[in-house]
Amino acid sequence: MATSSDAAAADVTKPFDIVATYNELLRSDPDLTMPIAAIEALVLLLTHSASSTISETLDLLEKSTAHLKKAIPNPIGLSAGTDLFQRYLITTLQRPGQLGPAGDFKAIRTHLLSNGRLFIRRAKESRHKIAAFGRGFIRDGSTVLTNGGSRAVASLLQKAADDEGGPSAVRFRVIYVLSSTSQTLGQSSEEPEGMETVRALREKGVPVATIPESAVAYALGKADMVIVGAEGVVENGGIVSRMGTYQIGLLAKAIGKPFYVVAESHKFVRLYPLGQYDLPIEQRVIEFQSEEDIAEENKQQAAKTDANAETPIELPLCDSVDFTPPHLISALITDSGVLTPSAVSEELIKIWF
Amino acid sequence: MPSTSSALTPGLASFLKSLKTNAIDTSIENLISLLKRRQIRHSRSCATATAYLLLRVISACRTSDSAKLIERVQSVGRRLVAAQPREMVVGNIVRRVLGLIRDEAEDDREAEYALSEAGSESQPHTPRAFDDPSLPLDRDALSVRPEGSERAARSPLTSMFSLLSHPEPEASLPSTPGSLSPSGRLPGHGPAKDVRAEVLEGIGEIIDELGQVDDQIAAYALDHIHSNEIILTHTSSTTVQKFLLKAAAKRKFTVIHAESYPNNHETTHITVSGNASKDDEILSTESFQKPLIDLGITVILIPDSAVFALMSRVNKVILGTHSVLANGGLVAAAGTRVIARAAKVHQTPMVVVSGVYKLSPVYPFDFDSLIEYGDAGKVLPYEDGDLVDQIDVQNPLYDYVPAELVDLYITNLGGHAPSYLYRIVSDHYRKEDISF
Repeated sequence: MATSSDAAAADVTKPFDIVATYNELLRSDPDLTMPIAAIEALVLLLTHSASSTISETLDLLEKSTAHLKKAIPNPIGLSAGTDLFQRYLITTLQRPGQLGPAGDFKAIRTHLLSNGRLFIRRAKESRHKIAAFGRGFIRDGSTVLTNGGSRAVASLLQKAADDEGGPSAVRFRVIYVLSSTSQTLGQSSEEPEGMETVRALREKGVPVATIPESAVAYALGKADMVIVGAEGVVENGGIVSRMGTYQIGLLAKAIGKPFYVVAESHKFVRLYPLGQYDLPIEQRVIEFQSEEDIAEENKQQAAKTDANAETPIELPLCDSVDFTPPHLISALITDSGVLTPSAVSEELIKIWF
Repeated sequence: MPSTSSALTPGLASFLKSLKTNAIDTSIENLISLLKRRQIRHSRSCATATAYLLLRVISACRTSDSAKLIERVQSVGRRLVAAQPREMVVGNIVRRVLGLIRDEAEDDREAEYALSEAGSESQPHTPRAFDDPSLPLDRDALSVRPEGSERAARSPLTSMFSLLSHPEPEASLPSTPGSLSPSGRLPGHGPAKDVRAEVLEGIGEIIDELGQVDDQIAAYALDHIHSNEIILTHTSSTTVQKFLLKAAAKRKFTVIHAESYPNNHETTHITVSGNASKDDEILSTESFQKPLIDLGITVILIPDSAVFALMSRVNKVILGTHSVLANGGLVAAAGTRVIARAAKVHQTPMVVVSGVYKLSPVYPFDFDSLIEYGDAGKVLPYEDGDLVDQIDVQNPLYDYVPAELVDLYITNLGGHAPSYLYRIVSDHYRKEDISF
C-alpha cells in the first residue's frame, strides 16, 4: 500500500513544477497578489503529492518554498504567503480541536485542498474591506497623490469614486505618479503601470493628473494626502514597495502631508530590513561603470547569447523595489482596520509565537 | 460659565439627582439636552453621566437576553453620540458597556458549550473553558483585562489567519450554540448566571474607575517629576493638578502655568491661587484640595504667549487632554498645540496625562471636525460694538495635537508611547463596536 502510494506520489510530483504554477497563476489572474499566488501554488502542490503525515508535508512545503523563493527574483511578496501558509498549518495542528493533533490530519488537508478558491475569494474580498475602511480618508474636495499599480489602492479610489452621485458623493481629485523606468528601458510601447486605473477613474468622472516621478515634490503642495500600495509590509511597519515610494514618503514627511499605505494583511512579511540595501533581493539599480566596464559587458553579452543558463536571477530595473521606513508612514489601511506601523509587528507576533 | 455653584444650575449633579426619580426616557432626553446645551462638558462629567444613565437603562431592561441589551444600549448610545459628537468619551463609555455585554454573553455561551462538549465527547477541552468563568471575578478596578489579548487572539477578524481559516461556525459545527444567535438559545436554556447582573456590576466598575482614575495616574507622579525640575502646564485640569500635588508632597519643583486665555483663564487662576468656590461640576472633593502653593511649590502664572520664550528653561511639559485618538493624537484645550510645538523645538519632553476612558477608538479622518468653536464674545466682548460688526472673530476651544509631538502618555494603566495606544484601544473596545 505504502509503496504504491509512494510511487504514485513520485509520478505526480515529477511533472509538478511549483515555479511554473506560481507564474501561471499570477499571469492567469491579474487580480491575484503574490502571497495568494504562492499559497495557491502550495495548495496545488499538496494536491499533487500524497503525503499523509504531518512532518512529510511540512518537509515538502519547506523544500518547495525554498525552491520557489530561489527561482523568483523578488521573493518578498511571495514569502509572506508561504510563511502564512506554513504557520497556519503548524498552529492548526498544535491547536486542540477538530483539526488538531487529536483530530485527523486528513481533515486539515482536505480543508486546504478543497478551499483553494475560497482563499482567493477571501483575498479579493479583503480589498473591498480595505476600501470600506479607507473610504473615510478620502474627503470631499481632497486631492490624493498615488503611484504604482497597486490593486488595493485602485479599488479604494474606485470605491470612493463609485459613491459619487450617491448619497455620499465624494468629489476628489487624483494626482497619479507614473513610473518612468519602463520607458527608459526601451519598452515604450508598453504603457506605464497604473494607466489602467487612471482610465477607470477618469471614466468615473474623477479628474486625474498624471505626473512623472520627478514632479512629485512640485505636485505635493497641491495634494492633501499620499496613498500608496505595498508589495510587503515588514515587521517594523515599514513597507517594501515599487521603486520611488521611499522618496514620495520622504517628501510627504518633509512637506507635512499624511502618507497612508493600503495593504492586505496577508502581505505582512517576517522581515526586518535595516535599510535600503538590506533587502534579501538582488537589484542592479546603482551600477558604477566606466567605459571599460561597458565594453566588457557588451562583449560578455555577445558571448552569452546562446548559453545563458547560469546567470543569477536579477530583478529587472522596472520591477525594482525600495524600502519605506515606518516613521514616514502615518497609518496602514488594512483589512483588519487602520493600523499604526507598530501594530504590524503585533499581528506578526500573533501568528509566529 | 459655571460661576455660581447653585444647586439649580443644570449640570452633572442635578442630572444624577434627577436620574433616581425620573423615568428612563425622560432621563435620556435630559442628558441629550444637557449635552446639546453643553451644560455637561468636562470629559469626566460626560463619562460619569453616560455610565450612570446606561446603568439605569440596563437595570430597567427586563431581559437577560444579551442581543436585546446590546440593541437597547446601541440605540441609546447613538442618540447620545449624535447629541454631542465631539464629546468622544460618551461614545467610549457606550462602547465599553457594549463590550461588557458581549463579553458576558460570550462567556456564557462558551461555558455552556464547554459543558455540552465535556458531556458528549468527554474530550479534554482547552484550559480556556475553565479559565473563562473565573475571569469576571478577578477583573479588578484597574480595568486591566487579562482576557484582552486572549480575546484578540480568539477573534477571527484580527488574525492574519482569517484568510486561510476553516469556515468553522457555518460548516463544521452547525448544531453548536456558536452559530445560533444568542437570542434563540440563552433564554430557553435558563442561563447559569444573569448576564444583566454581571453587566451592571461591570458598569459599576467603570464608574469606580472614573472616580479613581486621577489618583491612579497620580501614583506615577514620582517617577516623572524630579527635584528642582521646572514643569510647564496649561489650563486647569484636575488630573494634572492631582499629579503635581502628589509629587509636591515629596519633592520641590517649580510649576509654570499657562493661563489659557480666554476660555479657561478664570478656572486656571482659581486652580493656582486656590481661593474660590469651584464650580460644582467637577466633583466637590476637589474644591477642598490645597493648591500647589500651599505645599511650598513655586507656581508661575504666565500668559499663553510667553510659552515659547520660557520653554528653553522648562524640563518637562505635563498636559491634560480632552480626548485621545486611536492614532496617538489628541484633542485638548486650545493652545496645547502651540505648547507641543514649542516643546518639540526645544526638545523638551511632552507628557500627556489622561484616563483610559478618554482614549477613543475613532480614527481622526478629518481633524477640523473635531475642533469645537466657543463663544466669540470671550475674545472680543460684544460691548465693542463697532469692532464686532467689522471683523470675524473665532474662538476655537480645542486643538488637535498630532501624535509625533507627544513623547509619553500616562494613563491609569501606566506610561505608554503614542504608538502603543492602538494596543490599549484594542484591549478596551471590541472591533464590532467601534462604529456602533
